[in-house]
Amino acid sequence: APKPAAPQGRKPPELPQVERSNWLIHMHYVRGEFDACMRLIKEQLVDSGNLCEYALYVQGLILRQRGRIQESMDAFQQCALLNPSSVNNLKQVARSLFLLGRHRAAAGVFQDAAKQAPDDWEIAHNLGVCCMHMRDFAQAKDHLRRAAGLRPHESTLVQLGKIHIIENDLQHALEVFRRAVELAPENPDLLSTLGLLYMQCNQYQKAFEHLGNALTYDPEHTKAILAAGSIMQAHGDYDVALTKYRVAAGNAPESAAVWNNVGMAFFGKRKFVAAITCLKRAAYLSPFEWKVQYNLGLVHLYTEQYASAFHFLTAAIQLRPKMPALYMLLGVALSNLDDAENCRLAYDEALKVEKETGSRSLDPLVALNYAVYLYNSGDASASGRMLGEFERRLQERHGNAAAAAAEAPDAVETGKRLAALLNVGESLLWRTEAPAAAAAAAAGPADSAAPAVHRAPAGRDQPKRFA
Amino acid sequence: MDPLFQALSLFRRRKYEKCIEKCTEILDKNSYDEAAWLLKMQALTEQVYVDDIENDEDGMAEGLLDDSAIASVARPGTSLRVATAGGGSGGLQQAMRPSTQSGRPVTGFVRPGTQGSGAGSLEQALKTPRTASNARPVTSSSGRLVRLGTASMLSSPDGPFINLSRLNFSKYAPKPQMSRALFEYILYHENDVRTALQLAAMATEAHQFQDWWWKLQLARCYYKLGLFRDCEQQLRSAMKQQECLESYLLLGKVYTKLDQPLAAIDNYNQGLTKFPNDRCLLTGLARIQEGLGNLEKAAECYKDVLRYDAMNVEALASIATQYFYNDQPELALKLYRRLLQLGLASAELYTNLALCCFYAQQYDMCLTCFDRAITVAKKEELADVWYNLGHVALAVGDLSLSYQAFRLALSYNNDHAEAYNNLGVLELRRNNLEMARSFFQAASTLSPSMFEPHYNVAIMAERMGDLQSAYQSVNRAQQFFPNHSDSKDMLNALKVHFSEI
Repeated sequence: APKPAAPQGRKPPELPQVERSNWLIHMHYVRGEFDACMRLIKEQLVDSGNLCEYALYVQGLILRQRGRIQESMDAFQQCALLNPSSVNNLKQVARSLFLLGRHRAAAGVFQDAAKQAPDDWEIAHNLGVCCMHMRDFAQAKDHLRRAAGLRPHESTLVQLGKIHIIENDLQHALEVFRRAVELAPENPDLLSTLGLLYMQCNQYQKAFEHLGNALTYDPEHTKAILAAGSIMQAHGDYDVALTKYRVAAGNAPESAAVWNNVGMAFFGKRKFVAAITCLKRAAYLSPFEWKVQYNLGLVHLYTEQYASAFHFLTAAIQLRPKMPALYMLLGVALSNLDDAENCRLAYDEALKVEKETGSRSLDPLVALNYAVYLYNSGDASASGRMLGEFERRLQERHGNAAAAAAEAPDAVETGKRLAALLNVGESLLWRTEAPAAAAAAAAGPADSAAPAVHRAPAGRDQPKRFA
Repeated sequence: MDPLFQALSLFRRRKYEKCIEKCTEILDKNSYDEAAWLLKMQALTEQVYVDDIENDEDGMAEGLLDDSAIASVARPGTSLRVATAGGGSGGLQQAMRPSTQSGRPVTGFVRPGTQGSGAGSLEQALKTPRTASNARPVTSSSGRLVRLGTASMLSSPDGPFINLSRLNFSKYAPKPQMSRALFEYILYHENDVRTALQLAAMATEAHQFQDWWWKLQLARCYYKLGLFRDCEQQLRSAMKQQECLESYLLLGKVYTKLDQPLAAIDNYNQGLTKFPNDRCLLTGLARIQEGLGNLEKAAECYKDVLRYDAMNVEALASIATQYFYNDQPELALKLYRRLLQLGLASAELYTNLALCCFYAQQYDMCLTCFDRAITVAKKEELADVWYNLGHVALAVGDLSLSYQAFRLALSYNNDHAEAYNNLGVLELRRNNLEMARSFFQAASTLSPSMFEPHYNVAIMAERMGDLQSAYQSVNRAQQFFPNHSDSKDMLNALKVHFSEI
């Protein structure tokens, strides 16, 4: 329709448009120019009398990124009041509730949102995470699986994997993380987590592969360095492991796990003093870590400082009472401290703990060390029985005699010498060779058979203060 | 025997009390005996004399309201006021060595001038514990001087010895023997800096500005009045006439006050060319380096001190602390044992010995040292002894004993922030979350510049899912220990949470 011409010199009155500068707000926000953005939002809100939904929304987002969750939730709630039909607003309110730790309330709001948008993967994902925090794992898994079905996203899979790990279901966790890595093959966090899972399942080749991948994407990833280094250590590549650790120690100099692994690498190279120094620094930084104490005890046994070894081993036992190997090493220390009574008690405790925990493959060394001790204290018949037990365990673990001799040569050697001394050389294991080492007087501390390098995974410890 | 001779002999043997009595007797007989008057004055001065080069204390007013520093934002490494966090050895420092104020690691030797980095504002200074930044409780302005003055008044019940306002200084100023003793009396006994300055000015004039001693005293008065530039001028002028150790030491202090550590280092080095290997100058150098956060360089200077004076307590203790926190407790033990051989027997020394013994794995000596420390210690010190015992119990794995030890530490000193923090950690291990949280809260309010409670609160909050509190706490932890890798990781994880939609 033809409009009447406006009179010259008078502009038409400008109507206050509520959503006028949304584009500019958005531009500032996505560029990360939060200060300018906030200024603009304030103007816009004053102009529109707090009715501009988008300005409020972005204000909420910015406040959240600055860590002010409570204020951001207020903003989102205002948004939800302005536009109750928007799923987005509901989702943000629920997410703020989640970030504040009010998981039950958050789940309720998410469920409301789910009624409006049943096929939103984010809602399903967040519902799953909320259920996980409320320890309702079955439901959490349902929600997360649904989210992954709607749209596979690696964060969903990571959460699902976490639940499997909490439930100690490593096979499923492995599967889930493998899928996550397929989705995001360049994420070093995911790769290293997968590598650690493989390590826990004893698949070292695959673990190493994934950890190596993680390190190619991020050569300074502390967690991956630690895990890869510990695999190298297990294969005796101490120098390579040490060069890897050098990077990690630069990044996280106060991490007890790093110093523990460095210490054990030195131990592997038979540099005992350096090992003790590193391990003691680790113990200083993290006094609650039983692995460090265990390693310290072990190294002190090697350097024949039995009093210190006893001390560290008891500390480790206090921190983690159900470990047969700890009692065994304690027994070794005590036998060198001339405390026969307690030594026998320690070995008995080791056998008892083994029985209680019901571990699948029993440690042959416990039996061997007990046998050596019994022989040294003159109880030849009991020693013979224990030696038989050792033999049984050795076969259980390694299969045949040749494999056992290849994997734990020192232990087999000591066993042979003891068998020769006891004249029980007729059994399967000892028959492969004639008891040539019969001249050996008394078997030394047999724990030298397996250094049992314990690796600490990259964990988070509370720092302590020392004065 | 001649009473004056007797009094002199008593003075030489430092029996000031008796000397004063004797002089009073003489003066009673003959009130115009100038020798006795002089002697009594000197004895009175010596009774309360404190070396004011070593006695340097900042009150609250000096710390906050006085801005004699020129640069407000100095380059790092050129100012004593900016705490250089984690100085030197790759950021590990703060995780290994406890600190007093933010970024200042604990020193091995506490002297009256020990300053942590001062509080930022007056409110903060009033809120923090009174001994947080100084060796003694802080007062509003240089408290020790005020207290010395009042104490001297109390010690003479029948009124003051000399009525200063009635003295005619122009009569005394030209007489060198009289004026010097009188000056010292006014300055150290009466603590009347203004009058002392008046006398010093007159005396300098009477000696035609040729006497370096008077210039030095003028400088000393200016220093006490806070006129540092005037003080520097006088010292320079005195140095031109006579090279003197005291002027170098005073000048070093002036530069410290003006927050010019590099000038102070230059000054000390210059002094060392004139007085090679002097212990006081080397110690001053070491203190400056320590204040700058260069602990390694400070240790080197202290080692130089030890080379020429093997019994220097400050140097021994400082180097020992340095060794202890650098993973060499055996060497620290050696040095602390040397201190013990020198005849020191304080609770601190025994505690340090016990800790060194424990960490150097000399288990036979450890607990006996703690025993000794507990018997010797006073109440405030007992808290620290028990706190350390708690650590030893922790390392042995006896958690209940360590719990009790930390509790005892708290019962002796209610404001022991470290003990609160560690109790919180123990409660966390027992899964008493509420208790743990309140302990951490107490620790962080008592000592806001400690990063541990903040970080621990952050961990707890993160586990509970309260990410807002976690973010706030971990930010605070970062503020006090910027290089802490765990809090960096946590902060990054939280930021990811916040930016996810």
